[in-house]
Amino acid sequence: MFAAQAAGGSALSFPILTTLVLVPALGGILTILTSNRRPESTKFVALVASTVTAGLSIWLLSSFETADAGFQFVSQHPWIRDWGIGWHVGVDGISLFLVVLTGLLFPLVIAGIDPHHDHKRYLGWMLVLEAGVMGSFISLDLFLFFLFFEIVLVPMYFLIGGWGYDQRVYAATKFFLYTMFGSAFMLVGIVATAVLAKNSLGYVTFDLVQLAEGAEFAASSGRWLFMAFAIAFAVKVPLFPLHTWLPDAHTQAPTGGSVILAGVLLKLGTYGFLRFGLYLFPEASVWVRPLFLTLAVIGILWGAIAATMQKDLKRLVAYSSVAHLGFIVLGTFAFTSQALTGSVMQMVNHGISTGALFLLVGMIYERRQTREISQLTGLQAVAPIFAAAFMVVMLSSIGVPGLNGFVGEFLILIGSFGNARWWVVIGATGVILAALYLLWAYQRVFHGEPDEDNKSFAELRPREGILLLSFIAPIILMGVFPKPMLERIEPSVKALVAHVETNVGRGFEFEKKDIAPVVHSGTNPSETENKDDEGHGG
Amino acid sequence: MGQYLPIIVLLVLAILFGALSFLASTLLAPKRPHAAKEAPYECGIVPGREPPQRFPVSFYIVAMLFIMFDIEIIFVYPYAVDREFLGSFAFFEMLAFSAVFFVAFVYVVARGALDWGPVQRAGRIDSSLEGVVSANRTTTSTIRRVGAEGRIEEDQKSAVA
Amino acid sequence: MFAAETLTGPSIPWFTLSPLLALLIGACVLMLGGSLLPQWPRGLYGIVTALSAATSIVLCFFLWDNLSDGRPETIIGDALAFDHFAVLGTISICVAVLLASLTTSDYLVREGEDGPELFVLYLSAAIGGIVMVAAQDLIVLFLGLETLSLALYVLAASNRRREESQEAGLKYFILGGFSSAFFLYGIALIYGATKHTNLGRIMETLSSQQAFPRNDVLLLAGVGLLLVGLAFKVAAVPFQVWTPDVYQGAPTPVTSFMASAGKTAAFAALLRVSVTALESRVDDWRPVVWVLAVLSLVVGSVLAVTQTNVKRMLAYSSISHAGFILLGVEAASHTGSASAADGIASAMTYLLLYTVLVIGTFTIVGLVAGRGDSASNLTDFRGLGRRRPALALALTVFLLAQAGMPLTSGFVAKFGVIRAAVETSSYAIAIIAMLASVIGAFLYLRIMVSAWMEDAEGQDAAPPVPFLSGLAVTAAVAFTLVVGIVPGWLLDATRQVITLAGR
Repeated sequence: MFAAQAAGGSALSFPILTTLVLVPALGGILTILTSNRRPESTKFVALVASTVTAGLSIWLLSSFETADAGFQFVSQHPWIRDWGIGWHVGVDGISLFLVVLTGLLFPLVIAGIDPHHDHKRYLGWMLVLEAGVMGSFISLDLFLFFLFFEIVLVPMYFLIGGWGYDQRVYAATKFFLYTMFGSAFMLVGIVATAVLAKNSLGYVTFDLVQLAEGAEFAASSGRWLFMAFAIAFAVKVPLFPLHTWLPDAHTQAPTGGSVILAGVLLKLGTYGFLRFGLYLFPEASVWVRPLFLTLAVIGILWGAIAATMQKDLKRLVAYSSVAHLGFIVLGTFAFTSQALTGSVMQMVNHGISTGALFLLVGMIYERRQTREISQLTGLQAVAPIFAAAFMVVMLSSIGVPGLNGFVGEFLILIGSFGNARWWVVIGATGVILAALYLLWAYQRVFHGEPDEDNKSFAELRPREGILLLSFIAPIILMGVFPKPMLERIEPSVKALVAHVETNVGRGFEFEKKDIAPVVHSGTNPSETENKDDEGHGG
Repeated sequence: MGQYLPIIVLLVLAILFGALSFLASTLLAPKRPHAAKEAPYECGIVPGREPPQRFPVSFYIVAMLFIMFDIEIIFVYPYAVDREFLGSFAFFEMLAFSAVFFVAFVYVVARGALDWGPVQRAGRIDSSLEGVVSANRTTTSTIRRVGAEGRIEEDQKSAVA
Repeated sequence: MFAAETLTGPSIPWFTLSPLLALLIGACVLMLGGSLLPQWPRGLYGIVTALSAATSIVLCFFLWDNLSDGRPETIIGDALAFDHFAVLGTISICVAVLLASLTTSDYLVREGEDGPELFVLYLSAAIGGIVMVAAQDLIVLFLGLETLSLALYVLAASNRRREESQEAGLKYFILGGFSSAFFLYGIALIYGATKHTNLGRIMETLSSQQAFPRNDVLLLAGVGLLLVGLAFKVAAVPFQVWTPDVYQGAPTPVTSFMASAGKTAAFAALLRVSVTALESRVDDWRPVVWVLAVLSLVVGSVLAVTQTNVKRMLAYSSISHAGFILLGVEAASHTGSASAADGIASAMTYLLLYTVLVIGTFTIVGLVAGRGDSASNLTDFRGLGRRRPALALALTVFLLAQAGMPLTSGFVAKFGVIRAAVETSSYAIAIIAMLASVIGAFLYLRIMVSAWMEDAEGQDAAPPVPFLSGLAVTAAVAFTLVVGIVPGWLLDATRQVITLAGR
């Protein structure tokens, strides 16, 4: 039952994960305490805090045991004994890259994008947000997860509401209420999980590992509990009918906020499905599979079609997020290790490429004070480097082979094809639509002759160039050489799939039969992907 | 369920009665709205004379003090009648009660409840309250004659017609 | 005259009553000293009140320790109960007096009306409240209720210069008088049904009349009327109509006291009566509490959304909070299961935490409302983040806590009642409560938006923050965060309240 923890114990005695949460949190407080008269000291503190976090997350990555499927760097302390709540954190292959992504994205955003006013509070909220996101990804305790999941709302609310565009208050409130609506169900679900698990465990605990490995739920209650969690995650992802907060929040958020929102915040939902849906309620997640596959496919198509029709460039990117996250959910509910690996990878990919797209749109807005596609034309002629950067990022988002987006999407599609054929067939049209709306937008914005307003469009500045380069480098690197990443993700994903299979038993035979040939024919999926990449993209 | 049946029947009857009354009054009543009917406490009669004159509030305070002492006596009387049986416990109870009562009495007297004659000003009259506390304010200037307006206008209108 | 022997009174455990006596002495000192001596130095009335409340709290800690060694018991001829439940309720009420007296002192100084009256009324209201919390007899409970209510009526009307305050006092008085009458009639009917007013005896009588068919008409009518009286005091829907008007009209510090001490006393009484005396009739009153809880949650949060006056908003939010506490009462009604105890503990914890939260919030509202206590519209909060960042930050902490954000005491409170509800398998009500809290969150967001994201034109004056109020707010913020981050000690302590005396 405690196998996972024992495995983690071997890693490091230094509580690196706890530090990952504490450093940005304390940094945020320190930032607020710095003097108003010396803005550079404020930024310095914020940069130091986020860079230290980034360094720690790199260290985490480098000392991660590649072949180990269990949780590593675990640290566990009791917190509220009366309720069976503890500080239990750890990472496995699924959360590792999300933690690293969080660690790296924040210093970039803090260093690269300046808010127009009130640096101190902006940076303070940013760091608190980082601590919250970090905490959510490493929590192995339901209560702890919920706590961080909710904490994330507050800084994001203030970032959108305080530094956003015209409709910022509306968008921020909508974001807050939608997410809180989801969390309302999740909180009841979390409590009910712990209470119901008492029957089989004999004691009350909110510890994820103990619940997932030891507790047994009646089929019907497991399904209810899963749905309670799923609503929260579906809002966060966002899945089709609950997605309407996202375009508003993205469009109205300041650039830095958008990048973070797309980069890591949305992943809380998809990550939640993996960690707290599949792992905790395998039987129920198999049972609701058709529903979520369908919603994912609707999301893909809906997002793509809506994106095609947008007049606002930022809204377009926002809707493309809905489509991309649909893919991730599709892969998640395929229940094959290939598709799940693809999903995890796609989470990171989407974070990087959509984050970069928002960054670029932000730069366009900064120069032109508009995001209307019809107002922009011929930018390629006046700013070729800018256009080239936009092109690369966009192609990554489309999923062109050789760039990172392809690897994830391909793994998802091929991994789901075996047991979710028709969903994949319909969902795959989303790939084509993605090419359509992004290329069309590119054509309208960058091609043609620049008119009077666009003539003076400034070329990429060195600082912006460095910022973008740090996005583009991993885009290419992960596209060409995804193996190191895949081999770290895969063991944990396989363990998760095995966990689902053993727990579901007879009802899941259909999937088992179909999975087997896919896994065997592909031998090692990561290698297959490598070949494919080099074949297409090289 | 069976035991709740009477309650439900009563509930239904009550709702029905209320609904029917409203319905009936809507259907049957002649509709001649005018401002006087909109006024609160409308009874259709215009006030014939001024409301009662003011008189000093000290009367009330004395009356209330009288009631307080009356109640104290209600407590003391039975004790006096049956003192031997009630014994020392009740004695101390009475003492405690009187003490608390006395404190309140001291407060009331110290605050000038029994000071008759010209009213002592508290002294701290806010400058912002100039208009509120002024010699020009009388009952006729401050009290609005509720309900009269609409009726008067109505009369004038009919007179014109 | 004819008596052969003399009456022996019940033995009076003076030390057990010491928290009450501390408040009583404080009240007498203020009343005599205040009327006989010339005007005291500024703020001294408030400080004396705060000191007597603090003394009372310290005494409560001693009593708590004593209790941990011994058993809960009933004292003074079964009139009062002496158990952890009562002591915790006493602490809650004294905390309310302590914090409210600090802010009231500044309020009175600001309005130029510094005097002992309000403080005496606070103290006597607190005495009434404590009697309610500990009452083991319906008549004693009624005495406490009236002592509390009469003081609150006068407090609500205490600002003689604002019409709204007069209106609030009158409304509260008339409606409160009604509810007291209901309550008293309820007691009479219950006495008629059981021949007792003592909670313990009522419990015994009722549990000996379990066999069906039984004739409970008198009893149930009495219980219903009793619930009306108490539901009025806790402002549960549909007995909430007075709340917005009175909360808005009453002077802001008084509002905070009403929302905290008044609620605590009435809820504690409700819990004690329903769980002790009516234990064997839980199936009869549980649905009533369920309906009250759901209505309060939904109506409270939905109506709050459309308000434009912050005091009114918070009044509606307090109705919604009453719904949350009723969730705990509902959970406590599942007396068969082991988790019913969690219902009692969570409701009492909620009351303590809410007391601090609501006083903190109203204190800031009062500071913003400024001289005359009238600027409490949403628009008056505009730009507070720029004018007084620290005050706005404190307000944000309180509002987030009221919305139930983690790492604040509000989350601990809500989590407790939700957990109690889920443990007793009341999933529906738990989900309704959480959804209501989402709607409620919108209301708190509106205030925060006003404070942080909207800029005021022509409102550059920063509201002054006097020392005592600042102290109260700081203490409340610290408490809110500390309990939010390390709630273990408080939960360990409050778990002891589940053993009621005489059960």
